[in-house]
Amino acid sequence: MTTPAIETDGLTKRYGEQTALDGLDITVDRGEVYGFLGPNGAGKSTTIGLLMNYNKPTSGTARVLGFDPWTDVVACHQRIGILPDRFDTYDDRSARRHLQFVADTKGSDDDPVRLLERVGLVEAIDRPAGEFSQGMEQRLALAMSLVGDPELLILDEPFTGLDPHGVALVRDVVKSESERGTTVFFSSHVLGQVELVCDRIGILHRGRLVDEGTLSDFRERLDLAADATVEDVFVHLTDESARTGEETR
Amino acid sequence: MTSLASTRPRWLPLAREEARGMLRSKGPWLLAVLLVVWAYRPSYNGWQGLGPNLTVGFVQTAGSFLLPVGVLLLSYRSIVGERTSGSLKFVLGLPLTRSDILVGKVIGRSVGLAVPVSAAAVVLGLIGIVRFGLFSPLLFVGVLLATLLYVTTLVSVATAISAITSSTVRAATVVFGGVYLVFTVFWTGFAEMIYATVGTASVTSFNAPADGLFFALLRLSPGRAYRVLTNWMLGVGNSGAGYDAVITKLQTPTSINVYAVESAFQGQTPPAYLHEISGLVVLLVWLVVPLGLARYRFQRSDLV
Repeated sequence: MTTPAIETDGLTKRYGEQTALDGLDITVDRGEVYGFLGPNGAGKSTTIGLLMNYNKPTSGTARVLGFDPWTDVVACHQRIGILPDRFDTYDDRSARRHLQFVADTKGSDDDPVRLLERVGLVEAIDRPAGEFSQGMEQRLALAMSLVGDPELLILDEPFTGLDPHGVALVRDVVKSESERGTTVFFSSHVLGQVELVCDRIGILHRGRLVDEGTLSDFRERLDLAADATVEDVFVHLTDESARTGEETR
Repeated sequence: MTSLASTRPRWLPLAREEARGMLRSKGPWLLAVLLVVWAYRPSYNGWQGLGPNLTVGFVQTAGSFLLPVGVLLLSYRSIVGERTSGSLKFVLGLPLTRSDILVGKVIGRSVGLAVPVSAAAVVLGLIGIVRFGLFSPLLFVGVLLATLLYVTTLVSVATAISAITSSTVRAATVVFGGVYLVFTVFWTGFAEMIYATVGTASVTSFNAPADGLFFALLRLSPGRAYRVLTNWMLGVGNSGAGYDAVITKLQTPTSINVYAVESAFQGQTPPAYLHEISGLVVLLVWLVVPLGLARYRFQRSDLV
């Protein structure tokens, strides 16, 4: 049996008095497309930051592709592609240099031209990223995440700053990567985008995982109409958890 | 992956990218031009003491005061700048340990600065040959290598501070207020103050104590350590002051506001630890220790 792509146990992150993430338990199987949903500040980026060793946990454990994400960083990141949230590209470097740098560090011989073709940015290959629009930067970062055919693709708010073409592009990339067997873990607060690509959804609210399942699971369990969207599920769940939160206070 | 890729250090692409970034930006080359203008200072005493090797003395002058400002200015943002902008998330997401990131940054930036600094030295050398005749090429290379070690040391210290501060303003304050002003520019005054506080008598350079500890304290400054080392190569004396001032102090009747081991110890044998090689040791300590301490914290801290 292969180890899950991501497995967390009681993962917790506190900043002083603030609890950004409170005892997260999730398991993402290999080959799955997992959508991590929640409003801004729910703890999505905190989770990804912990899984990527940007930050260290207050308590709890995690395994990423079977590795400890805080000690086996090299082995872990060799197999991960990351599209971070609120990143910045290097203004004075071309798109080609960005990709070449990632490929060289990963020891991959992926061709920047082919990668940029996949994200529709090949005509800007030799332009400095400082001239890019937000959407172009997002496409470049997506291309960077694909270098070296990662086993696990982590996309933090991948739809940010994209026009409808860009949004469709991200969906296509997720689909084709998933067909290749790549596990995709992505976070979003744009609910409508999620149901089109996800196998399973986890809903995060105020640092806690409030529910998890497939869209049809949710429809059944929450007694929602058959055509209920992720949005409906989300509103239903977060309303409830907000209410129980108030009751226990 | 080929066997070549696995034997190559992981940080090499990062270092290459850092060096490229330096060489393609204007700052380091502007520094090189300023270094030439700053360092070309023919002096009568310098010529009397060194002859055509005066030109090599210019390289030491280039390495004093202006070079540290320039190098620190071009290095203090190396990590904290990427941290605040968000580009560090890409670097942190690569198969690199945090130590790899520090090493790659320091080596890459040092190489990116070594090229323009060497170019400035070569220009000074060419001007020197025309004006003062051929100098010792070996001496020139030796002093240049010492200067490049000093550059690497400064990059390492600035990167260490950059790695453990969370804002560029704070990094700038520590780098320029602490490292540059205290340890480089005003260190002689601080050393006198410390010595006077700990010991009994106040000191001035006109009646310097024949006390090895005081001279050891003086050369804890990376700038003075660099000049102790290069003055030794130039053969002008055992001192952390500029080569021309040391020549004036030791080889002319003029009394001048400079500390030199020879004039303080007047014929007594100074302690062995004041050997000029101590300059090299101090530089190596500055190269390794701050970065080592920063690494300890950098490895454990939240970076986003």
